[in-house]
Amino acid sequence: MSEEPRQNLLNTLRIRKDLEKFTAGALLRHPQVDAVIERIAALEPRDQQVVYAWAELVGRANPELAAHFVARAPAAFAQMDRDGVEDWIDQVMHTFDNRGLGFAVDAVEGVDEFARDYASRHVRCGFDDASGFLRHFVRGLGGRELRVVTDQSTFTDTESLYLPDAVNLFPEPEQNFTLYKLTAVHLWAQTWFGTWRYQVVERLLRQYDDDAMMAVFNRLECLRLEACIERELPGLAREFAVFGHIDAAADALWAAWRDDAAALLDPGATAEDTLDLVEAFLERPLPPFKPFQSDMFAGRVRQALFARIEREKAAFQRAMQDLRESQDGPEQDGEGDASEKQMVEIQMGDEDAGDGGEIKFQVTVDGETVAVPEHLRDLMGSIMQDFGEIPDEHMEPSERGEYSDDLLPQSGDGAADDDLDPDAVGTFTYREWDCVRQRFREDFCTLRELGVPPGDPGFVEATLEKHRGLLKSIKRSFEAVLGESRLQRRQSDGDDIDLDAVIEAYTDMVNGREMSEYLYTRYRNQERSIAVMFMVDMSGSTLGWVNDAERESLVLLCEALEMLGDRYAIFGFSGRTNKRCEVYRIKDFEDSYSKDVRERISGIRPKAYTRMGVAIRHLGQLLQHTRARTKLLITLSDGRPEDYGGYKGKYGIEDTRHALLELKQGGIHAFCVTIDNEAQEYLPHMYGPANFAVIDEVEKLPYKVADIYRRLTT
Amino acid sequence: MSTTAIRTEQSYVLDEPYYEPVANEIEVFAAAYNNQLPILLKGPTGCGKTRFIEYMAWYLKRPMVTVACHDDLTASDLIGRYLVRGGETVWVDGPLTSAVRQGSICYLDEVVEARKDTSVVIHPLCDDRRLLPIEKLGELLSAPPEFCLAISYNPGYQSVLKDLKQSTRQRFVALEFGYPSAETEQIIIEKESGVDAGTARQLIKFGNMTRNLKGSGLDEGASTRLLVNAGKLIASGIAPVAATDAAIAQALTDDEDMLQAVHELSRSIF
Repeated sequence: MSEEPRQNLLNTLRIRKDLEKFTAGALLRHPQVDAVIERIAALEPRDQQVVYAWAELVGRANPELAAHFVARAPAAFAQMDRDGVEDWIDQVMHTFDNRGLGFAVDAVEGVDEFARDYASRHVRCGFDDASGFLRHFVRGLGGRELRVVTDQSTFTDTESLYLPDAVNLFPEPEQNFTLYKLTAVHLWAQTWFGTWRYQVVERLLRQYDDDAMMAVFNRLECLRLEACIERELPGLAREFAVFGHIDAAADALWAAWRDDAAALLDPGATAEDTLDLVEAFLERPLPPFKPFQSDMFAGRVRQALFARIEREKAAFQRAMQDLRESQDGPEQDGEGDASEKQMVEIQMGDEDAGDGGEIKFQVTVDGETVAVPEHLRDLMGSIMQDFGEIPDEHMEPSERGEYSDDLLPQSGDGAADDDLDPDAVGTFTYREWDCVRQRFREDFCTLRELGVPPGDPGFVEATLEKHRGLLKSIKRSFEAVLGESRLQRRQSDGDDIDLDAVIEAYTDMVNGREMSEYLYTRYRNQERSIAVMFMVDMSGSTLGWVNDAERESLVLLCEALEMLGDRYAIFGFSGRTNKRCEVYRIKDFEDSYSKDVRERISGIRPKAYTRMGVAIRHLGQLLQHTRARTKLLITLSDGRPEDYGGYKGKYGIEDTRHALLELKQGGIHAFCVTIDNEAQEYLPHMYGPANFAVIDEVEKLPYKVADIYRRLTT
Repeated sequence: MSTTAIRTEQSYVLDEPYYEPVANEIEVFAAAYNNQLPILLKGPTGCGKTRFIEYMAWYLKRPMVTVACHDDLTASDLIGRYLVRGGETVWVDGPLTSAVRQGSICYLDEVVEARKDTSVVIHPLCDDRRLLPIEKLGELLSAPPEFCLAISYNPGYQSVLKDLKQSTRQRFVALEFGYPSAETEQIIIEKESGVDAGTARQLIKFGNMTRNLKGSGLDEGASTRLLVNAGKLIASGIAPVAATDAAIAQALTDDEDMLQAVHELSRSIF
């Protein structure tokens, strides 16, 4: 007998003996025991170790089960990696512990099914795995911000990318991930390379609105987009080339289409050129979809597009107006319509400059280049995505959009019976800034401080339960803030000598001056002397999710703040007209975080409008009278200031800005957390460029608010 | 009493530092300098503030002192202190005092990081008095016309504890720095890192992609400095994607989704 088979034989004998021991002989009763041992002997040594280890463990619990396990182990290793096998045996033991031997044996025998399930779980790329990444990735590629959501159909309406739940086409998880990514990129490319420009959507719906034409358009566009991607994003183009492959026949068909539609591959080709070709291809056999290709729904696009065009046109005209006014300078006040005389021009940069998702343009007012604020840049970018240019009608200043800033003279109206008596207890009057008259209206607003009826006491518990994990991480990060102990110099007493101070004292002494007694250093947590006022928007628009998210944020925040020991107060604000401004006391600086406070938080409900200026003035005063080194007013809001009777648009924004400036002069820092996506338009003006945060998804509010607070105060 | 000068970081900038002007900042700085006005440089990290100061020191032929401010930096660290030598006390000038004495450019980098008491010494130096009181010596140093104080400040930090006070900032002539235009940035990257024009263009494209992410997951996009760093790695033979991963992605974020997104953005270009 030669060496190798002899070794094998010895191995098999040893394995048989060992496993016999672990299974207390049960294995020997297996009908194909020899075949089983052969197969185990053929496993890799490390896999054998796993079988050994588990056979011994399972054998201690039940030898019969161990025998079943050993018999099926080779099959398990043939289908899964080591982690998979351990998952499987884990599940078996769990079943044994809870349901007994019979079910456990079934679980052992069910290894094939388990392996199939394991494979699909580990191979597919699901929405949850990829969406976080995709949001960033697509945003980075360029263009307007797109939401990434999952849907039964895969398409884009130019506001969102609708993606499938999961992709499971390939055996390797990396491949499925790439395909998922390419699917999203292909949809992004439609929004970026002009598939859904206004002109195209119009013609598409007018002349080509049937399924056959749409199918042809989709395929021709795919060719054009691939060419665009190849020019701009060579790395992605390589992946598209690999994943675009279907089979020989389909590839040949695609190649034929590509040859005949070569005009679409030119750098200058647009989706309108694609439309021109649709009829010529109508009779030809359709190539099958490439794996990353998805449906196109022109109707859905149109809906989103038209709504956006209206919205952005109004916002753009408003911004242009602001630009004209800001160039006016205060000296040429009012009289002649200055805006008439001024020429605002926009020059487009070279579109093919290939500069990482940035559209270039230059804005000039009367021939002078002006700096374009960030929100206007984004807005113009989005408009140009829709039109390829800024349409002339957008440039016309006369037409006012939906948020018309018609500066109605503020009627001091509402002389109804239920007007508040300014002399009543808990009632305050405040002035308001009138940007039309450029002066204050003294004692214009009457504000009452009200309580909040307690709400459902279970809300706080439910929130703490819901966000248990989150709360833990918030607390941990806040603890880190607390734990930052630092060396304090020049102390009257301490752990060590402050050498600098001693030398200084010595020199003072030598020079005949008085010696300092502060000569020690010590480590101590820095004392936080922070008072923070949370001003919560309780306007009617917060109804629903926003209100829930606000309340949840407050609960989490209170838990965290209690730990930090910062002084904090929570007030809601709302109201209707200047005579009925209201703030709602949820927690004052002196109140402890008691059951009452918790119930008041849960009792926060949407009320009426958002007259922000007066609320800021009132709460700022409260804050002003608190003792702390750093004072902070944080607003949680869902939109621009707005109230009944002309308090909207520019008037509301200017008054709020004024109120905030007054705070700033008093040494109070203001910060705003908002969920309004259009906040870029007005918040920088009101709060200053770095003093706000826009949260794109309401659900993220509880997490973000705590995080922002931590960042603000460290 | 004898005073001894000690060596600080103070030095003349002998070779012309490479600096690509973005707008009229050189003229503005020179004009402010000639009018003895202090200068505040605002802008995100890595956009060339420090390089600009070095360039101006060379341009104006003045020595410069740089002080990187930290949260334990006190006024006496800037002014100076007595030391003891052989039973005698010896006064040693701090960097600011020696800069005033010698008529240098004193650059306080990231001034908001310093202790609040530093503003006591900065304020009288920055208005028309141009005086530096040295309490311990009982001296009042009057700054010569050649002396210039420049500070830098990054307004992007959202911490209320690190804000520049109005009373401080209103004493300065402010120069705002942003990222340079694509053309300028391309020249900078080519010259600084030694990559070819094509690679520089790709790097800028990648840089702009990361800047798109500012505010949606990133606090800052890739600065010119990071792009130059990546360029240097590429010029030394590191594969482009590996270079951007190491020099840019890891420097910008620790968030896994974001790291992956930045990685894939790089892969989509190179």
